[in-house]
Amino acid sequence: MKASPGKVDIIIPAGPKMAGASHQCTLYVGTCGYSYTEWIDSGFYPANTKNSAMLGLYSRCFSVVELNYTWYQMARADAVARMVDRAPEHLLFAAKLTRTMTHERAADWREQLVLYCQGIAPLKKRLVAVLVQLPPDFHRTIDNRNYLAALLDGLQEFPIAVEFRHVSWAVDSVFAELERRKVSLVTVDEPELPGLFPSLDIVTNPALFYVRFHGRNSTGWRSGNMQKKFNYDYSEEELHSWTETYIRPMAARADCGMLFFNNHVRAQAPRNAQKLVRVFAAGKRSLV
Amino acid sequence: MKERSVIHFNVADFAVSVERVVDSGLRQCPLIIAPLQAARAVVYDMSEEAFRDGVRKGMALRRATKICRGATVLAPRPALYQKAMTAFLKEVLNYSPLIESGFADGHLFVDVTGTHRLHGPPPDIGLRIRRHVRTHLGINPIWTLGTSKLVSKVASRLVKPVGEYIVSPGDEALFLAPLPVALLPGLTRQELRKLEEFHLTTVGALAGLSRQQLMVPFGSRSDYLHDISQGIDDSVVSTSSLTTTQTVDCEQSFADDTNDRQEIEAVITDLASRAGQCLRSRRQVARRVGIWLRYSDGSHVVRQASRRVGSNSDFVLHNLALSALQRAWTKRIRLRSCRLVYDRLHKQSPQLLLFPDKGVRERRQEKLLGAMDTIRNRFGHQLISIGSRSSIAGDVRSTIH
Repeated sequence: MKASPGKVDIIIPAGPKMAGASHQCTLYVGTCGYSYTEWIDSGFYPANTKNSAMLGLYSRCFSVVELNYTWYQMARADAVARMVDRAPEHLLFAAKLTRTMTHERAADWREQLVLYCQGIAPLKKRLVAVLVQLPPDFHRTIDNRNYLAALLDGLQEFPIAVEFRHVSWAVDSVFAELERRKVSLVTVDEPELPGLFPSLDIVTNPALFYVRFHGRNSTGWRSGNMQKKFNYDYSEEELHSWTETYIRPMAARADCGMLFFNNHVRAQAPRNAQKLVRVFAAGKRSLV
Repeated sequence: MKERSVIHFNVADFAVSVERVVDSGLRQCPLIIAPLQAARAVVYDMSEEAFRDGVRKGMALRRATKICRGATVLAPRPALYQKAMTAFLKEVLNYSPLIESGFADGHLFVDVTGTHRLHGPPPDIGLRIRRHVRTHLGINPIWTLGTSKLVSKVASRLVKPVGEYIVSPGDEALFLAPLPVALLPGLTRQELRKLEEFHLTTVGALAGLSRQQLMVPFGSRSDYLHDISQGIDDSVVSTSSLTTTQTVDCEQSFADDTNDRQEIEAVITDLASRAGQCLRSRRQVARRVGIWLRYSDGSHVVRQASRRVGSNSDFVLHNLALSALQRAWTKRIRLRSCRLVYDRLHKQSPQLLLFPDKGVRERRQEKLLGAMDTIRNRFGHQLISIGSRSSIAGDVRSTIH
């Protein structure tokens, strides 16, 4: 067994525009969530796997996981601490911000933010980023800009990644502000539908770039059913092409990259994540 | 055994929530639901604001209105709450057939084990149902997820009046350990008092005792106490409350609250007759009746009576209902409404017996009922009735499922 499965170091050779030596970027590949009964049915986890054993099995394949249950409910320090205690040492975590601060913004969001910070505190140095995923109806208005700024201020003790779902945020001033704050802009792969935030190879934080693969199921995207929305299987060609178009250019400008697959249906996410690692391995051989 | 996923939905202050959906003007003020004309009325339900002022269920209305002076007081409308509950249930049925519901109280247990391929992970189901219910019905239920009814029920007690709680599988005992024992469902007052005497204030402290140790003070309840303290609950989500397609349900609200036995028996005669007509039209027979007596003070009593052989005769159903009434007749408080639910239904056998087991009297009754049904089908139920039935004033609600 590898010490850090799903972790890949890629070396970007010095190009004509790059002065000095080649650049190394460490990539971690993982999935959004790990606790899916469906992954037992699909054979990723062995038959009869208990929920409590899933994280251990997951960490045999990957070294990072995005916690999505913190989106459904407020993170609670005791439960998070129990999970961290059970997790192997090499496993890193990204934690999604609770929906009461993103999708269903509550009037008492400042109190919620304090609770959230307390809740994820046990992750300590194993936290790679807090993922702030903003909903499609969160447009770039003055109110929303102010809100986002206040939210990022409240989270400044943690590394942060922001995922926009609405195209109005795809402007240089937003990227410049994220860069100033050293906040990572999440690069997404999703269906090409009007109004969605586009796939961009912009790096706003040289310490970390963050990618989420949602799948390209355009018919299921707005169905309201996760089983349809995230039902997509990436081919090796698609991943290879994406790597060349987006990941390598971003890796050239960052020290570290987190790549998460969200197409959890029928365990396509972990399979595609493993496929991407193989794509990197093949590319590495050809590059180094 | 496969790990289960049980979601508990709980609409806090259900009656208040429904009244506020009907009249949004009530959202701004504290609200108390209690019978208005009853001499010694007690609180049936109250809003969170009234609760914070000290109003509690079962409290005398006079005292409650003194504590919470600005409160609006409304009379309970059980039929409206039942209607809202049915609509809530309908939303949830889209996700699982395994649903256990209370009677118009805003509580639902939903077993979503094995539905992940169709509907996705259980937390997503909980969230989606809450969103749908909030959007379409205007009520905002708490939802909690656990591996059993016990765990999800306790979790919902932690997040009242709004919120959600997910207890990860395997974390049950650790989740329960720091909580007060009073949060565990199913414990009697005597048991709670005894636990307090032993200084067993938290579930963790209770879990530290073996079955044998618990046997000494709690006897036959020791197994139950031991299991719930460990988060063990194998009880299934019972759909018996849901099998509305297998029930005949009739209810009457009295125009004026009454405890006149004769008047109530007359109502039961009428309700049994309506149920009988329905059963005969469906060629079904019932083996059990449940009676719900709702009192002026907001309390209710439920009793049942059953028989080995099913019947759809008004006379038999009436006698069965009177047996149930006898069991339910425990208070002298006036009644607000009376409800009969006939269940354990099965098809009336089309096969005639070689040697008829019915006497001349039963055969005559059968013919009589057949003739009455013909008349009622043509001219309405009220036109003809059995002699003992007196004139009834009030709102008759007959829900035949």
